[in-house]
Amino acid sequence: MRPFLVFVLSSLLSPWVWADEPDPLNSPQWEFVHQRFLKGEPYQFDGKVKVEAPPDAEDSLNVPVSFQVEGLDSVQEIVVVADLNPLPQVLRFRPKVMRPNLGFRMKLQQGSPIHVAAKTADGLWHVGGVWVNAAGGGCTLPSVGTSSGDWTKTLGKVSANVWQRPDGSNRLRVRLMHPMDTGLASGIPTFHIENLKVLSQDDQVLAELDLFEPLSENPMLSFDVAKQTEFKLEGRDNNGNRIQAEVGR
Amino acid sequence: MKSGELLRKVLLASAISAALYAAPLMAAVNDQDIANDATTTNDVVSYGLGLQGQRFSPLDKLNTETVKNLIPAFVLSYGDEKQRGQEAQPLVHNGKIFVTASYSRVFAVDAKTGEELWQYDHRLPDGILPCCDVVNRGGALYDNLFIFSTLDAQLVALEQDTGKVVWKEKMEDYKAGYSNTAAPIIVNGKVITGVSGGEFGIVGKVEARDAKTGKLVWMRPTVEGHMGTLDGKDNGITGETNKSWPGDLWKTGGAATWLGGTYDAETNSLFFGTGNPAPWNSHLRPGDNLYSSSILAINPDDGKIKWHYQWTPHDGWDFDGVNEFVSFDLKQADGKVIKAGGHADRNGFFYVLDRTNGQLISASPFVNKITWAKGIDLKTGRPEYDDTNRPGAPSAADKGQSVFSAPSFLGGKNWMPMAYNPNTDLFYVPANEWGMDIWNEPISYKKGAAYLGAGFTIKPLNEDYIGALRAIDPKTGKVAWEAKNKAPLWGGVLTTAGNLVFTGTPEGYLKAFDAKTGNELWKFQTGSGVVGCPITWEQDGEQFVAVPSGWGGAVPLWGGEVAKSVKHLNQGGSLWVFKLPKAPS
Repeated sequence: MRPFLVFVLSSLLSPWVWADEPDPLNSPQWEFVHQRFLKGEPYQFDGKVKVEAPPDAEDSLNVPVSFQVEGLDSVQEIVVVADLNPLPQVLRFRPKVMRPNLGFRMKLQQGSPIHVAAKTADGLWHVGGVWVNAAGGGCTLPSVGTSSGDWTKTLGKVSANVWQRPDGSNRLRVRLMHPMDTGLASGIPTFHIENLKVLSQDDQVLAELDLFEPLSENPMLSFDVAKQTEFKLEGRDNNGNRIQAEVGR
Repeated sequence: MKSGELLRKVLLASAISAALYAAPLMAAVNDQDIANDATTTNDVVSYGLGLQGQRFSPLDKLNTETVKNLIPAFVLSYGDEKQRGQEAQPLVHNGKIFVTASYSRVFAVDAKTGEELWQYDHRLPDGILPCCDVVNRGGALYDNLFIFSTLDAQLVALEQDTGKVVWKEKMEDYKAGYSNTAAPIIVNGKVITGVSGGEFGIVGKVEARDAKTGKLVWMRPTVEGHMGTLDGKDNGITGETNKSWPGDLWKTGGAATWLGGTYDAETNSLFFGTGNPAPWNSHLRPGDNLYSSSILAINPDDGKIKWHYQWTPHDGWDFDGVNEFVSFDLKQADGKVIKAGGHADRNGFFYVLDRTNGQLISASPFVNKITWAKGIDLKTGRPEYDDTNRPGAPSAADKGQSVFSAPSFLGGKNWMPMAYNPNTDLFYVPANEWGMDIWNEPISYKKGAAYLGAGFTIKPLNEDYIGALRAIDPKTGKVAWEAKNKAPLWGGVLTTAGNLVFTGTPEGYLKAFDAKTGNELWKFQTGSGVVGCPITWEQDGEQFVAVPSGWGGAVPLWGGEVAKSVKHLNQGGSLWVFKLPKAPS
């Protein structure tokens, strides 16, 4: 209740006040992230956006991250940004009729705050985050698929599984085969999945995602879905290669 | 029912208002822009500076008097380690220059500042099978799209403003040897393309797609026996199965349409040349092997073949037949004008055909030595072969009798497009003088493997030069002038109403010649071999010229003893832009 009041009051007084709210993670890039990826829109740091990641990345190419947004209604869009990555934006997630939770793996170039911002229908971004230490180098290495030349055999292939969660709803995990090259490794152009839709069997859009270079090679994504057990996936990479699959239990 | 009617009216109204609203905003390229490209001077929106492919610009600010004042405006480096042959023709539209580069890359440049706007690097698999360097020859503009084809046989449409992929279609399986390097052309909203891969036993074809969506409209195979399609349905077999091919060889018959084509609106015909029949060893495939090494006139509406003419029936030298067919008005002595087309073949003859029906009008040598035929019979339209000059049949284990043949398979003229100037009435042909030892070897087809059945060594015919830019009079077939060049010519030609002819040399020069006399008037060293195609346009009252620079192509790969004159040439990758500054006032 109190943060909401503060929000209303300060929005009446001076809209630039939020830009001054200090980042609990003390990110040197926060204002840049706010301007560039949240378009300078109002925000507040909010414990309802829970981000989990290991404090130290064992593998800078595959840092497991998950977030849950609990107690916020009508989340429109969620943005994930690794502030100190050379390519900071990791993904954008529009959960539509899904729960605003997601698990994925990403590349880290160095230790960095990872911010997750969820925009609610009132236009306010609710921001959570976590700091991950990393030895680094994750974004400037060629992908395994590219260095081995194997990527053409599996490009765009999808595997998936569906589990029942304790509360009776389901969890969908998909793996999309793609090198996800960042363009920062010498001589290897940017090559990554750009967008992905999760649809129900009857073509209702359950969630939409924009995916960017820092997502790990062969991205693995875990969604909290409702009772459905069969899904369609549609997407495309930046070369126009299509992803199309039907997955289920 | 009423609400349905209302809805329709609303839709109609909104469609109209959308159209009205969009019109002044649109910098989109439409069919009219492309149809008029040869006469509009402030843009270049098609390969060939007009779909007829004359490569003639009516601009004359830059002329034999002023060309000495032509200076560099800016240069764009393609960067990267991918410095291979740069054979593209740039396009200019809406203040942007678009150019493709080696390894299926595209650059968009601000035409005023030379600053890069965006770059698209197509992701290529390791297993691509291009025969003759990883080149690309250019793209096509339509609507808000830049459309180009890739070495892994895909067709990609990028948004002109951002370089983002709008659509992408797979044309063929690169693992079977298909690839693509030619510039597509746009005819009445359709993007028309060929395929490469004749060295791998693919089957050539011409395809038409909806340029806005990439959806296939029709497909016409270029080897007899194969079925064409229109709107997803069978549309008749090409030719007559087994009429000019024995057994099953037509199934892997080659005839790749690897250089794309031209279009003539007056006859509503696409003109697509076809490549060599596969394999090279002609003794395996007795017969004419239609429609290899030919020109096909195709109806762009349905993909039906209107007529054909075969330059080299039963080709045994890899003379191929893809070189561009350029529509022009042949002015006869009696004042009559014939709708004709000109073609300089790899086999050494310059042909003039009636483009309404494919009838041969003349065929004249444009190189000094031709060994494979004594001439072309104007009555039958067929070559008078010298049978002793056909490489012999191999036995089961040994290679066949080797012969020395001129021209070499790299051709009296290769892919590099010639230009036609209606003011001088001359064709400007980048010719080369070379021959080859060629012999046949046993061969069988294997998917994705080279399917030649021949070996060869290229040899220059003269000590002092290989290349010769030749001005050819299509009325007589006579050479009006020539400008020799030590290394083989491998770049396209441009001619202008300023009485100029531009072309590049492997030694790194872009040169300008007097179109009437062949006198060299201007040259500029670009830092690497010029094997691209020059263009010209007008911008803010000044005339510009652009050409890619970057040595490569088939010569350094296949050139044999030609290496002597090219091995010291260094690679590069850049777009050079020149301008004639306004006279100081």
